[in-house]
Amino acid sequence: MQILQSGHGDFYFQDPDAVRAQRAHKDRGLTNKLMTEQQAVSRFVADGDYIGCDLTYFIRGPNALIHEVIRQRRKDLWFCAKYCYAESVLLLGGGCVSRIDVGFVAVGERVLTEAMQDGRVTLSEWTNDSLTLRLLAGAMGVPFLPTRTLLGTDTLTYSGAKVIEDPFTGKVICLVPALVPDVALIHAHQADMHGNARVLGASTAPMEQAMASKKVIVQTEEVIEPEEIRRHPGHTTIPYYVVDAVVHVPFGAYPGTCPGLYVADTPALTEAMQALDSREAMQHYLETYVYSAPSFAEMLELRVGVKRLLELKGRERYREGYYDAS
Amino acid sequence: MTPREFTTVEMMTCVAARLFEDSRAYFIGFGMPQIAAVLAQKLYTPNIIWVYEYGTIAPQFPLPFEPLILGDSKSNYRAVSWKDMNHVFAQASQGFIDYGMLGALQIDPYGNINSSYIGGTYEHPGRRFAGAGGANGIASLCWRTIFVMMQEKRRFVPKLDFVTSPGYLDGSPQAREKAGLPAHTGPYRVVTPMALFDFDEQTHRMRLIATAPAVTVEEVLAEMAFEPLMATTVDTLVPPTADELMWLRERVDPARLVIGKGKTIRL
Repeated sequence: MQILQSGHGDFYFQDPDAVRAQRAHKDRGLTNKLMTEQQAVSRFVADGDYIGCDLTYFIRGPNALIHEVIRQRRKDLWFCAKYCYAESVLLLGGGCVSRIDVGFVAVGERVLTEAMQDGRVTLSEWTNDSLTLRLLAGAMGVPFLPTRTLLGTDTLTYSGAKVIEDPFTGKVICLVPALVPDVALIHAHQADMHGNARVLGASTAPMEQAMASKKVIVQTEEVIEPEEIRRHPGHTTIPYYVVDAVVHVPFGAYPGTCPGLYVADTPALTEAMQALDSREAMQHYLETYVYSAPSFAEMLELRVGVKRLLELKGRERYREGYYDAS
Repeated sequence: MTPREFTTVEMMTCVAARLFEDSRAYFIGFGMPQIAAVLAQKLYTPNIIWVYEYGTIAPQFPLPFEPLILGDSKSNYRAVSWKDMNHVFAQASQGFIDYGMLGALQIDPYGNINSSYIGGTYEHPGRRFAGAGGANGIASLCWRTIFVMMQEKRRFVPKLDFVTSPGYLDGSPQAREKAGLPAHTGPYRVVTPMALFDFDEQTHRMRLIATAPAVTVEEVLAEMAFEPLMATTVDTLVPPTADELMWLRERVDPARLVIGKGKTIRL
């Protein structure tokens, strides 16, 4: 088959048979996977890993886990900045990330520019939807999927996509390589101790993200009984044997919103956006919200307080459609 | 009676809102397109279907509009379905989505857009920006793409530092099809606080078709680093109506977070 064009961006890739071999040995036991975020990150996130999140710092982001990765000072991570508002730049500020697949990096452009100029970070260029399609390929166990996007642009040139003549139509088509992250970080509304997880509402790709990744850490607002999972199987987004760790963190998406449960802390998000605009301000932000507390829950207690958290919960007025089905 | 005073951004929002067709499907980007879609839904086209990249299909947006969060419960409210990113982009890929409406940092004469970097090289950019987000997929797959953006010389440039999302590429006949993009797709309108543009069917170059009230053609050209084609008659846009302004100011964006920007025009 003739390759018409090859993007020259680096891309993270694993042969599907190597992925299958990893899956073959993954424990499928019905075990209790509840642990703290410290335990989950120290066991399942290693220096040099490729990590991806579902959603983002402002909306149902796995913020407790992101903070813990920064707190444990992981290094040389390759980050999937799909639909990413702040976390890639926070990880950059924490010295955790050396490669980023963009996606979308909505906040912290100045810090990102400086890091690129200093050679502290290397980017590859993708799009929200092509990274999500790559995750779907990873989740399907196939090496690539076709798309009619990226074509004709510099985005393709700086990605790892390839362009071929489609054997069925004879037209030009783009292929994106499967993405199999080492670790997925996912915020769920509810999960049981075995890892069955419910992500309620609209989403980017929690199922694809979890299915594609070698190790999956779910942080959850609420731990529910396994019996409750079996009562409403249609609500399960991620089945338990895909998941490695379940971390119970109420308000774990703070300062962002967990739709249906609490609204975003808008002044705190504005503070984060301003902090992400310079390296110095970001260090101060990380000191205040990450390093100075041993856990996310203790950060919430020290820096936010019960009164404010309950207020954010009370202000979530648009609950229709999230919990009422169960 | 026509109101005597409005901002150029209010003008732009109304012009964008008037472009909506009822019972058509729109892929809506962050910011200004949301405001335009809300205004259109409340005032003109109640049955527009709009999808967001995180999978919300046809929400009925409660007012007032609050920017910053795209994906919270409010922006998802009373949708017909909550799906995910692969689902909505699949809809666009199979031809269900009539229009994409997007903001843009920088645009060239063929409607290609840059949201990746300006100055320097890719590896060592002068200034790095957010990247494609969903815009590349939206501009590739929707039948027609509408851009809603500020009019400044540094934004309307003859050549982009980086083509993040596709317009008519080099403008040559069937350039998009030859590159592998879906047939009969491409940029349709560019709405700015000062003007409205379309794209010439033959050359695919941007063409000035109307200016905002009290804005001259020369003033528009002064804010462009390339010369657009000119429509035989360059119209003057209808100013915001009293009804449009009442909705925008009192119901959609009372905090004036979006519509408060831009210059004030007094007629």
